[in-house]
Amino acid sequence: MATMKMERGALWEVSSRTIVYAAIGAALYGILLVAQIPIPGSTVSVRPAFALVPFFGYAFGPIVGLFTGLVGNAIGDQISGWGALTSWNWSIANGLVGLIAGLAPLYLARWVNGNLRDRAIGGAVAGAVGVVIGFLFTFTDVIIQAGQTVGASTTSYGQAVIGDLIGTVILVPILVYAWEPVKAQLGR
Amino acid sequence: MNIAPRYLGRGSWLARRDPRVLILVVALFIFTVLQIWDARIVLGLLAIALIYYRTGNIPWSQIRRNWTVVFVFIGLLVLVNAIVAGGETATVSLADAHVIFHLPLLGTPMSAESISVAVTLFLRYLTMATIGFPVAFAIAPNDFGVAFRRLGVPEKFAFGIDLTFRFLPSLAADFQSTVDAQRIRGYDWSAGAKGFLGKIRRSGPVIVPTVVNAIAGAEDTIDAMDLRAFGTGKRTWVRQLTFDRTDRLVLLFFGALLAAATVWGFSHGSAIWTPEFLIDLAPR
Repeated sequence: MATMKMERGALWEVSSRTIVYAAIGAALYGILLVAQIPIPGSTVSVRPAFALVPFFGYAFGPIVGLFTGLVGNAIGDQISGWGALTSWNWSIANGLVGLIAGLAPLYLARWVNGNLRDRAIGGAVAGAVGVVIGFLFTFTDVIIQAGQTVGASTTSYGQAVIGDLIGTVILVPILVYAWEPVKAQLGR
Repeated sequence: MNIAPRYLGRGSWLARRDPRVLILVVALFIFTVLQIWDARIVLGLLAIALIYYRTGNIPWSQIRRNWTVVFVFIGLLVLVNAIVAGGETATVSLADAHVIFHLPLLGTPMSAESISVAVTLFLRYLTMATIGFPVAFAIAPNDFGVAFRRLGVPEKFAFGIDLTFRFLPSLAADFQSTVDAQRIRGYDWSAGAKGFLGKIRRSGPVIVPTVVNAIAGAEDTIDAMDLRAFGTGKRTWVRQLTFDRTDRLVLLFFGALLAAATVWGFSHGSAIWTPEFLIDLAPR
């Protein structure tokens, strides 16, 4: 079912496998969010755990990616005490990243169906596309927080995109390289 | 490694409410606050949020750090916003604004109007965070799945939420085991890396095995669910949720608050309140 070489119809299938992978992705993302690496001289932090969102989307489909980002970010906020729903639009933005990365078979078919190296590169590209587009949803802060300027939202967007892009481009290919042999071993 | 959500409000008045009440109150109250721009009314809403928060009996000593993070986060957000705004507001241009001082080094003008916006924004964020805290600390983690299901979230996704909370402790333990195993081999992912790119690369040998093990180990759970015919029929939940009279009253109160804010917003509008004393501080 939902692994990298997937049929278009299988993209939206919701089975026990989808739910379990989604729950594992969300739980891991929520847990690993505790680790953040600040970029010296800026207010940006790289969150290595964020790479799980595009990876789970890319490896297991858009539903898993959406769930991993949406619920994982909410769980991370819940664990940190911020409250699962307080920054709901940022959780949706995280979910969109996973969703867009999960749609890679529709726009990166050559890489997704290529050899291992191609699939790893495809993972990084899909993740990067997901990060750049998905986080645009955070501009809803301008509407929700009507007093927040577009400039301030652009700053928040830029910080999130820079930090998460770095983590995604480095870690998603590593995760793809690690997961593919295991997947073959499991017969998936 | 204790990573599970902390159910600190256990036994409190708020924790005895139907969990859907706490979720719905956040939604109702956030949309109420979003419509109000007069800091005096926002202060009133903050007072309501604080009273609501107090009924959760969340021990201050255990969440002091969380509140510090909230204040720092909101403070930075508001500060960046004020700097980017450069003394202007959505309705007052810099030429019409009452500039009180310029920020040292940056030279950004700070006007009575932009300071009022910053203070109001701070209060609004604080109010929303205050109403959001009980969701984090006064809902039993195993109630989230059934609560979202009863709020209309599709069954499989609600079960996914439930499953996510159930996976947290075991996956956190697996993560800690991986960290420890790597340390025994002399690999400490949090030390020894040069530069932040090096730190990210060093996180790989800890994150990758944790993730791959978790996915590979999921087969047992998937098999168990398939053997129980997951998703083939309507699911029932052990935990039954019913609104009692108090739950309905709480929802009625917050619903009325939202209705009042909406009606007031459409009929009168809500504008930023700039105190006279701030305007007087500006040189004439």
